[in-house]
Amino acid sequence: MKQERFVALHGKTWDRLQSWLHALDRQPRRTLRQEQALDFPAEYRRICHHLALARGRGYSHEVTDRLQQLVQHGHRVLYRPPPPRWHRVAMFLLAGFPRLVRAQWRCMALAAVLFYVPALCLLVLLQLRPELAHTLFSSAQLAQFEKMYDPANPHIGRSSGTDLQMFGFYVMNNVGIAFRTFASGLVFGVGAVYVLGANGVLIGGIAGHLTAIGYGGPFWRFVAGHSPFELTALVIAGGAGLHLGLTLLAPGRQRRGPALVAAGWVGAQLALGAFAMLLVAAFIEAYWSSIASLPDPLRFGVAGVLWVLVLAWLWRGGRAVRHGA
Amino acid sequence: MIDTVREIETAEGISLRLRAAGALPRAQAWVLDLLLRGVFFLVAMIPLSIFGVAGNGLAMLLLFALMWAYGVVCEVWMDGQTPGKRALGLRVVHADGTPVTWLPSVVRNLLRVVDILPGVYGVGLVSTLVDPHARRLGDIVAGTMVVHARELPPGQQVPAVSALPLPLALSADEQAALVDYAERAGQLTVQRQEELANLLTPLTGLRDTAAIRQLVAHVNWLLGRA
Repeated sequence: MKQERFVALHGKTWDRLQSWLHALDRQPRRTLRQEQALDFPAEYRRICHHLALARGRGYSHEVTDRLQQLVQHGHRVLYRPPPPRWHRVAMFLLAGFPRLVRAQWRCMALAAVLFYVPALCLLVLLQLRPELAHTLFSSAQLAQFEKMYDPANPHIGRSSGTDLQMFGFYVMNNVGIAFRTFASGLVFGVGAVYVLGANGVLIGGIAGHLTAIGYGGPFWRFVAGHSPFELTALVIAGGAGLHLGLTLLAPGRQRRGPALVAAGWVGAQLALGAFAMLLVAAFIEAYWSSIASLPDPLRFGVAGVLWVLVLAWLWRGGRAVRHGA
Repeated sequence: MIDTVREIETAEGISLRLRAAGALPRAQAWVLDLLLRGVFFLVAMIPLSIFGVAGNGLAMLLLFALMWAYGVVCEVWMDGQTPGKRALGLRVVHADGTPVTWLPSVVRNLLRVVDILPGVYGVGLVSTLVDPHARRLGDIVAGTMVVHARELPPGQQVPAVSALPLPLALSADEQAALVDYAERAGQLTVQRQEELANLLTPLTGLRDTAAIRQLVAHVNWLLGRA
């Protein structure tokens, strides 16, 4: 078939699809409700066929370029991402995320060791030799910590600021740290190891120093409530980063490229889960932990319940229910 | 290969042509996005300052969203384009040419942290220069790439003259070469057009301007014009 005849025969179909696609760009919702939307997949495939014919028959660029543009546009529309479904987000947080954490338990355990061992070591060490605090922190930093957790403060855990302000600050700071911990894992895992270790030293050092100088009361009362979410989220983000780095070092039975893409897929989900946990942590930290008037049994009781809940969620969440006979 | 076009065969049996975008337009798009976010933040600070200290908290939440969520939300909801990318005619797509979805977008935007290292996008620059599809590390791990979204200017039409049948049957490749010649002749100097047309003197039996005219007439016949 000659080119001119081919265009005369099918040009109308192309024009129709083109005008529909342009209308879709301008008014997506209205255009998708039109009846023509039902025909779009079939029409798109027909035009793919036309393009293949045009290429095979060596038609001029005038025709092939036009069809190529139409096909690229149609491809983008046909394979567009589905709209987000909120129940899937809920399912992910309840079941998918704990499952993913358990699937990566080796990296998670390694991250927990990298974080908790230096933290606990420093906590104990600073009780035995309190002067070591001055090698870890500058005196300005120490003065700042002591001001934040001074037992004479009306609020605990902060020197000034309202609840909402601190919520914004905690979100930006903590989630930023978690995201950076995950991303820096790509550098052969070194970044994640460093951030986890450094945070372990920092947190352990502060806790040890404040306990040693007798400010332990306000400090432990402040951190107890949000620590289950915050520390666990940090460990999970670090574990995701370690997973990424270890995949780069030892991709196993896959080529590096596909293995990294798979690890990135897992890592992004873990990072998003950690983000959700840190939002909860920031909320507790800003609105619950800072209330100075709460009685200690209630405060530590809630903290204990939250620790149990977080660990139980990660341990049991998303397990298939056994249907007993 | 100098050509950065990546051909991807789709399920429909045709190939998509993705033209990978290099470091320069992407850097420009990033700077545009940065300016846009900066201006937006400053403007938003004006109403937020009414709330006093609490406004600070809201401002930090806004800053967080602009730093971490801006790229992901724009890319997924605006057809793979942040405003900066749209201005530069760039688009983020999956490696198979389909529009980018949530998780890959999250991966590529989180891993900016690594790409942005030493200085401003040191790792990212090296990665885009080394990778055949100009992907930075975040793109490689996410399985995405940044492509030029603007279509190339359409080729010129073959000038319409009265058709003249070919004296002998040409193979498909030879026909395609003739059609390409007629389409592109307008972009060449007359001397170059004549030089090329003179190669086919055995076919046309003519030289120079007459040969060009005859070839265009043959092409009109090949295209099926009257």
